[in-house]
Amino acid sequence: MISLIGFLSLVFAIGINFYLLLSRYIFKFKKQRFNFFIRLSSLLTLLSFFSLMYAYVTSDFSNYNVFQNSHSDKPLIYKISGTWGNHEGSMLLWLCILSIFSFFFSFTKNIEDNFQKLTLIIQAFLHILFGLFIVLTSNPFLVNSILVNEGLGLNPILQDPGLAIHPPVLYAGYVGYSIVFSIAIAGLFQNADDEWLYVAKKWSLISWTFLTGGIALGSYWAYYELGWGGWWFWDPVENISLMPWIAGLALVHSLIMVRGEQAIKKWIVFLSILCFSLSVFGTFLVRSGILTSVHSFAADSSRGVFILLIFFIITGFGFLVFLLKEPKKSNSLNLLFINKVSALVINNILMIIATLTILLGTIYPIIIEVLYNKRISVGGPYFNSTVIPIMIPGFLLMSIAPILSWQTSKIKSSKKYALSFIILSIVVLLQSYFLNFNTWGFVGLLLGLWIILASIIAILTSYKIKFTIKFFQIINPHIAHIGVGIAIIGITCSSVFQNELDFNLSEGDEFNVNGKKVLFEKIETTNETNFQALRGKFLFNIESNKINEIKAGKNYYPVSKIITSEAGILHQWNRDIYFILGDQKNNEWFVRVLINPFVSFIWLGVILMVYSGLIAVTRR
Amino acid sequence: MSLRFQRLLLILFTLIIIFSAVLLILYNTRENVSYFYTPSEINKSDIKINKIIRIGGFVENDSFKKISSSSFEFRITDEKASILVTFNGILPDLFREGQGAVIEGMFVNNDVFNANDVFAKHDENYMPASIKEGLKDTGYWNKKYK
Repeated sequence: MISLIGFLSLVFAIGINFYLLLSRYIFKFKKQRFNFFIRLSSLLTLLSFFSLMYAYVTSDFSNYNVFQNSHSDKPLIYKISGTWGNHEGSMLLWLCILSIFSFFFSFTKNIEDNFQKLTLIIQAFLHILFGLFIVLTSNPFLVNSILVNEGLGLNPILQDPGLAIHPPVLYAGYVGYSIVFSIAIAGLFQNADDEWLYVAKKWSLISWTFLTGGIALGSYWAYYELGWGGWWFWDPVENISLMPWIAGLALVHSLIMVRGEQAIKKWIVFLSILCFSLSVFGTFLVRSGILTSVHSFAADSSRGVFILLIFFIITGFGFLVFLLKEPKKSNSLNLLFINKVSALVINNILMIIATLTILLGTIYPIIIEVLYNKRISVGGPYFNSTVIPIMIPGFLLMSIAPILSWQTSKIKSSKKYALSFIILSIVVLLQSYFLNFNTWGFVGLLLGLWIILASIIAILTSYKIKFTIKFFQIINPHIAHIGVGIAIIGITCSSVFQNELDFNLSEGDEFNVNGKKVLFEKIETTNETNFQALRGKFLFNIESNKINEIKAGKNYYPVSKIITSEAGILHQWNRDIYFILGDQKNNEWFVRVLINPFVSFIWLGVILMVYSGLIAVTRR
Repeated sequence: MSLRFQRLLLILFTLIIIFSAVLLILYNTRENVSYFYTPSEINKSDIKINKIIRIGGFVENDSFKKISSSSFEFRITDEKASILVTFNGILPDLFREGQGAVIEGMFVNNDVFNANDVFAKHDENYMPASIKEGLKDTGYWNKKYK
């Protein structure tokens, strides 16, 4: 019953969007009427999504999708997150977020009516495409043909609070670019005045902020759940989320340029189309199973074809409009050797090149297989040694970019920066020399610290310190860059200076980690609601009075007969101590301890970036 | 500096970046790419010792031996040929006899492959596309895998 409601409201919503698409040519709607229908279709899509969620929560196994991916034993939160823990449900979530964005966009004030209408019509067009995709190839409301009273269960690896919220946040980022795409296309069609650029700026910031949060959540989840002790694996799906992120970063930065320059408009439109194309390309290519990844759900070739079709329609349509309709007026850019405009241009060039290198590495295996019928894999080392060197000039530049002038190529108090850079280099060089020297470690530390230092100098010398909202809005770019600097330090230290220790231990053994005594107290097994847990209990630093308890082990999920590793992590501000419990033989357990310095800095950096993304949205 | 000269510098700078990016890509795609084989393909071609490759197939039934809590020995097979693999470390949670796995590492001599990494497939019915193709070629393809 609830599935029927869900399906019908999904179909009705698509119908309304068809009606709206036609309305442009046949019926002329008033603005209110038009917005009413847009909002109605959003509410119907939402209703459809919630009825699927309801089916999951009540374990309604007459729904085939629920039967395949849920189990009545699961805790409530995983019943809810199970809604998007599978291909069909996640596509419905995608559509749902798309219509939520339309919903909010229909409330935007201060923009021309026709322009808003056109944007929403393009959104309606996208809604129809994805809606048809769901109905025709990935319907989550199919009826289960056999009568059952128990489901097959959700993949245990997905049963984690981090993963419960990761997909919606990430999707909000991906799908947010749909509205930026629609705005850009509408802007081209209407040749509207520059008002649309400000609207685009706001929405692209919102999407970028969501995307940042989504990627970080995913990588935090990978860090503590997958038990490899790393947080980024250059898995195809990670690369694919990184591409729209970098392109979106280029977009956000280009939109800043609009204040001074006009000619950049065309470039902005290009980036907007690119961002959304990459988002669609990413989600759908991985989901179609063409690329092998942790995130591919079991694939179905008919879906793959449909997906490619959608991708080509969106990208083709976008770039066709882009080529045919050029924005009016183009003043030349005010390019100087070092001013804000040229800094931003270089930033954009670097980011686009970085995006292309990632794209190439990700699809390279497909190309080789088609051309030479050889199967290869491109691993982390390719990306590390290609993408990072390309980004380095950008990191150097970003430290001073916000204070560069628009008009001249003079830098305020440039001597201070030069001096502090030299001092900093010497300090870092000495520090690295006396500890263990590593080229990448040195470069990363220097860059990270330099960005932070230069941003702080810029804040102190260029603005009067006041604790008002306006002040925080003004220094916001610096805050974002400080976030990047902190994240770079975290990334460098945790990857270059990671330390791995392996032990073979019996219960009651004591061992040394970084000079601290650790006791392997015992192995215990417990029964939880839907899994059995096996945990090794470790007491860290037993010689002090502040003993930390760490539990590392495995969970066994009887429903799906799957074991998952659960790493035990002791978080300290300057390092994480990461315990992995391995196999055992004759009561000897294999224990791996990883010491990851400054991992917390990565998350702190990301939080700062998200914060400044939010602040930037409020600023005009 | 004249305006024209400044722009020239900027364009030059851009060209240098693009050029170095292209060089990096060319160099890295040669150095950091590992080839993927199935066990029977390996016996056909002469594989160089000490070169990192990937092998995909099934963990042969009754071939798994636990030497200590952290070192293991097993065979990877595609029903036509099989290869002896040694591995030190922590096996992935989904590693089991009769299940698909991809190993990355190198041959230490003509018979023994030392794996640095073992990847097991992600769920009961799911097979990475790369193994699937390889297994279809050799005719060993279980219908139950999607």
